[in-house]
Amino acid sequence: MDAPGSTFPDSGTHGLIEGFARVVAVDGGRAWLEPEETTSCGTCHSAGLCSIGKDGGNAKRLAAKRFPLPGDLDLRVGERVVVGISEGTLLRGAATAYGLPLVTLLAGGILGQEVYRTDSMAAAGAVAGLVLGLGLARLVANHLSARGVLSPRFLRKAYAAPSDAACHPEHG
Amino acid sequence: MEHYLLLFISAALVSNVVLMRFLGLCSFMGVTTRVDTALGMGAATTFCITVSAMIDWGVEKALLEPYDLGYLRTVTFILVIAAAVQFTEAVVRKVSPTMFQMLGIYLPLITTNCAVLGVNLLLVEGKMNFIESTVFAFASSLGYSLVMVLFAGLRERLALCNVPRLFAGPPIGFITASLLALAFMGFSGMSTN
Repeated sequence: MDAPGSTFPDSGTHGLIEGFARVVAVDGGRAWLEPEETTSCGTCHSAGLCSIGKDGGNAKRLAAKRFPLPGDLDLRVGERVVVGISEGTLLRGAATAYGLPLVTLLAGGILGQEVYRTDSMAAAGAVAGLVLGLGLARLVANHLSARGVLSPRFLRKAYAAPSDAACHPEHG
Repeated sequence: MEHYLLLFISAALVSNVVLMRFLGLCSFMGVTTRVDTALGMGAATTFCITVSAMIDWGVEKALLEPYDLGYLRTVTFILVIAAAVQFTEAVVRKVSPTMFQMLGIYLPLITTNCAVLGVNLLLVEGKMNFIESTVFAFASSLGYSLVMVLFAGLRERLALCNVPRLFAGPPIGFITASLLALAFMGFSGMSTN
């Protein structure tokens, strides 16, 4: 495991997807974090330096993604930290948010087509399936959130990238 | 049902949207440095392609075809795709704010993904009915996601290899992509669309 404060990924946290976030508020014992904007270059470890990592992101969009970290972690506003979620969590999240509505959409569409043999009824079936799927996805997501499965967890603090460091997208 | 299965295999594997039709190549090279980003992008794209294909089928049959407005097809489809992406973003945020934090970052990238427009235009060319076009779009986007994840896995392994300096980075990526495309050619002959 890297020393606390390392900017580089932790080889000891295999199976975890890591991301950088910045502490934007500390409310009692709970810190509120804003994720650093990730880009098509996959985000590099010098993201704090380049235009993409610093100012390229949409502030409103980032604000909407703020999340709390429970527990007294002794974090201060402005600090960069590394947070992580397990690969299984991402898979489960994608399957719930996208997979479930798509499966019900297709099932509804095929059912409408096979029973009524018209495009309009197939379309109505697909829309009904999509609505049903989104409702189910919401229920499953609430269940997972209540169990804390989807919450990112604190891994370690990260130093701000040094000012003379170069951007290395290949490290993304 | 067999017809849908054949259509599914044909769209996902035989006529793969990335490796056979060469669509969505910029995200194929740009978002495949890590498996998790490829997976998130693939899942979001699958949802958006399927939803936009449904809407575009309706727009084509209700507006463009009856009023002979084929020359507006590309512009209209781009507008529909942008709306579908916004809809998806709103839905994911509503379904679960936590999931939006994890998966929402890929959504803006989809608006400019030519694979989405390409699949929608292929549907018109194929003169399919509603359910065929939806299955085709779903299968095409699953094929896209499959290739993204496979390629990301290969690139993660390549990052640990001792690649000659001349080939490091995108060059070895393109060579790997061409080998992957050759491998996918093995599916041709299984089914034709």
